[in-house]
Amino acid sequence: MRKALLVLLMIAVALIGFAGTMAIKGSNTVFPVSQLWIEELKEMYPDIEITLEGAGSTTGFTALFNGTADIANTSRWIKDKELDRMNEEGKFFIPFVVGYDGIAIVVNKDNQLDNITVEQLKGIYTGKITRWSQLNPNLPNQPIIFYTRNTASGTYETFEGKILNGERMDPRARMVESTQLEIDSIAQNPYAIAYTGYGYVNDKVKVLTLEGIMPSIETILTSEYYLSRPLFMWVDATDGFPETGDVKRYITFGLSKRGQELVDQAGYVGAYGK
Amino acid sequence: MDGEKKLTARTLKYHLNTTLINTIAFSGIIILVILTSFIINESIPALTNVGAELFTSVYWYPTNSFDPEFGILAMLVGSLYITGLTALFVLPLGYIIAFFLFEYASASEVRVIKSAIDLLSGVPSVIIGAFMLVYVAPLSFKLNIYTPENILIASLGLTILSLPYTASLMQEAMQSVDRSLKEGALALGSTRLTAGFKVVSRAAISGILNAVILTVNRIIGETMVVLMVSGGAAIIPRSLFDPVKPLTATIASEMGEVATGSVHYSVLFFCGLILLVFSFLLTISARLIISKNKHV
Repeated sequence: MRKALLVLLMIAVALIGFAGTMAIKGSNTVFPVSQLWIEELKEMYPDIEITLEGAGSTTGFTALFNGTADIANTSRWIKDKELDRMNEEGKFFIPFVVGYDGIAIVVNKDNQLDNITVEQLKGIYTGKITRWSQLNPNLPNQPIIFYTRNTASGTYETFEGKILNGERMDPRARMVESTQLEIDSIAQNPYAIAYTGYGYVNDKVKVLTLEGIMPSIETILTSEYYLSRPLFMWVDATDGFPETGDVKRYITFGLSKRGQELVDQAGYVGAYGK
Repeated sequence: MDGEKKLTARTLKYHLNTTLINTIAFSGIIILVILTSFIINESIPALTNVGAELFTSVYWYPTNSFDPEFGILAMLVGSLYITGLTALFVLPLGYIIAFFLFEYASASEVRVIKSAIDLLSGVPSVIIGAFMLVYVAPLSFKLNIYTPENILIASLGLTILSLPYTASLMQEAMQSVDRSLKEGALALGSTRLTAGFKVVSRAAISGILNAVILTVNRIIGETMVVLMVSGGAAIIPRSLFDPVKPLTATIASEMGEVATGSVHYSVLFFCGLILLVFSFLLTISARLIISKNKHV
């Protein structure tokens, strides 16, 4: 028994020891982008070994400081505290903008509403506005069924940060497991509202303008549309710009035409070539 | 010298064989022990970091960056509510099917119903979940209910899922009763209904109760159907058409994306521990019922 356990342990140690010559950690929002890039990179360079972990932007920066990650994915800019630490430790991280996350607010096609304000959206998702007629007396006096994404998803993170602004989402928010399901629910339910990554919107649902601005590639890339934010990948360049190696191959692929197409495929808007 | 060598080779072989057999025989127990200790171990941080809030709070905000709260009460109530409602549907239905099969059905009817039940029991839960979600849930719009994923739909899905299981178990319980009891009752002039209902069912009561407990155990642990159609809102339900978020669905939905080692991670394991405790208690009570009624 003991010997068998020992052998198992050794195998486990060996697996951990050999895997992951390159580690990526950070934002759940950027996670699917990295995932798609890695899949194609592995086809191009079969020898490349990459581990990917999504646990939030802060974790990404921490891992970069500790040297446990080569690339930190973040859905926010570096914080002052992190900048100070960088200076103290004499480190230098450089950001690459890989794409933009734009969140569209969608309702059923039969809904007469065209525009929504940030304040109204916050009211709905914090449970203060519960009926459509409260938004506009011409709308039906029916409850608003509001959908949300899995709390661990990056889209949720963005929405929470930009709309809820520190307040809690009402627990009545309905959670669905996939964006596709969310879109289908909205397409069927005349009194439902949801937020979704811009890349997932199709013509089964109606997209609302937010503060009068329609989400589009242009308005998202310029952040004229409120629910938009850039997505970053940070690389440690303390010892100089990584001109060769896996990190460089990864970044170069990501910023290529194909890499940027994959950003769109992940539901975001590619930053380049638009 | 030679004999000793032979002996050691034989002893070695003996020890090897017994070790092998014991390992295989005990693997179930070992896995259970490892699994349980793993879950308990992972849930300890939840108890030390969150404490009583787990059971006193109905607010589930595990990822809120400003003020996370880990109340699992709403989800626990959701689990119990769905389980209770499903049991209310499936137990009478299962009993009726079992009763019909045992008492009234002809041989060919038994064959058809039995094979239908067997086929139904082989349908994966994800298929039942998808069926409920795509075909049944939208029907609620026709009834002016705009929360298509709700307790009722989830319970109906679970009913479909557990019905074959319940019916087979109950039928087995009734079949295990000695024929002479039923024949005696009929000979004394009772109707088939009375013979089945008052004599056979009463004699089979331990088996039937066992079926009830195993069914409840199965429903409370079911994940896929509730994940798909229960609505995923962690609230205390006020009507049949409210959404809920049962413990199993929470674990399935959040475990994949939670940061390993965080409080949230530990609380998810604690949810698992609660389910494990339920299952443990139910299994033990099933055992007790069987051993108490052995004389029948």
